[in-house]
Amino acid sequence: MTVADEHGPERRDDDLVAAEYVLGVLAADERAAAARRIETDREFARLVEHWEAQLAPMADAYEPIEPPANAKAAIDTRLFGQAREPSRPGLWSSLAFWRGVAVAAVLAFGAYVGLTYTSLPFGAPPAEEHRYVASLAHDDTDVRYLAVYDGATRDVALSHVSGARPEGRDFELWAIEGDNPPVSLGVVPVGSSVHVALDEALGAAIEAGAVFAITTEPPGGSPSGAPTGPVVALGDLRDI
Amino acid sequence: MTPTMTPDEITKLIFRTALKERAAFDLLYRHTNAKLFGVCLRVLKDRAEAEEALQDVYVKVWTKADRFAASELSPITWLVAVARNHAIDRLRARKVPAAELDEAHAVTDPAPTPEAAASAGSERRRIDACLDELENERATAVRGAYLNGDSYAELAARFDVPLNTMRTWLRRSLLKLRECLER
Repeated sequence: MTVADEHGPERRDDDLVAAEYVLGVLAADERAAAARRIETDREFARLVEHWEAQLAPMADAYEPIEPPANAKAAIDTRLFGQAREPSRPGLWSSLAFWRGVAVAAVLAFGAYVGLTYTSLPFGAPPAEEHRYVASLAHDDTDVRYLAVYDGATRDVALSHVSGARPEGRDFELWAIEGDNPPVSLGVVPVGSSVHVALDEALGAAIEAGAVFAITTEPPGGSPSGAPTGPVVALGDLRDI
Repeated sequence: MTPTMTPDEITKLIFRTALKERAAFDLLYRHTNAKLFGVCLRVLKDRAEAEEALQDVYVKVWTKADRFAASELSPITWLVAVARNHAIDRLRARKVPAAELDEAHAVTDPAPTPEAAASAGSERRRIDACLDELENERATAVRGAYLNGDSYAELAARFDVPLNTMRTWLRRSLLKLRECLER
């Protein structure tokens, strides 16, 4: 039973168009039409993603080929206005050098871990180890947020990826730790990139492995302090 | 790509790129540029154009990295999809007579040699085995389309069949392929 079979002939045809898009055989106008649908039609986008995953092992056959050394500088110029000063270009752009650095880093890390766990008292880990990221999503909606929690500042950064809030409703963010009742982190401010500050207890809950969820609530947030609307996106936090 | 990066590490780099961390983006580039350039060059078969395409691809990776968070693809699959789709769009946008394209695409994609097959990952071996279940010509057409971005029109000309026949062939082949992969 495939996704296509469950939805009758139309879905089946969509499924084949998705396959053709991924395979790459469509003409320019058909490709453009499919690309527009990916942006607007969540179901179609899912079919495309499914085919991307299935055909992906064929991409093994692409041989890696080193691009010219100045390619990254050109990308940086386009994105950031000007490339960073490359210090000692001969050495820094050498693949062999970077391979060496990678090996050295692994060895150094091994040594550090060995040292930390055998002879030193447990010190505070560096700040960047306190960062967690979650992709908030739900199969029944197109609401997607990327959430990043920074333990050092107890700040949750939310990046809005897709999905609008329903008319006259607000999105509310919750942290759920184990079997405890969800704790409100407040109404999600409107915007593509927003921040929510947490208190110490919530910060600790998150570092203990809490899950983030977003529900729709009446304007201003749930009146009872517990979620009342459906969950539109959720996700667990990964250490980065 | 250097073998020192695991998919999890690449995932983290893409997440950090979504947060606009340039250091993560630099590292992501360093570990993935050769693979993605290989994709662009194979599809476009022109160094200068592949270099431009590679720049576009990493501009997209920087601006659309948050989309990866919403997808369920593995990080390399996502990156290759960004590169492949962009390279194929560029290829389609070219105004080149079909005859010239035929010559440019004369590279064939035979089934992998036994040595290559033996060293390939299990997923690759699986899809190769499923492609082997298709008729020879159709498997060649599927590989050619995926790896080189051949269009229906080019494949129809090369295999000397009407375009609609080619479409029927490939649609059936894709469904058979998936049926085999999900078996």
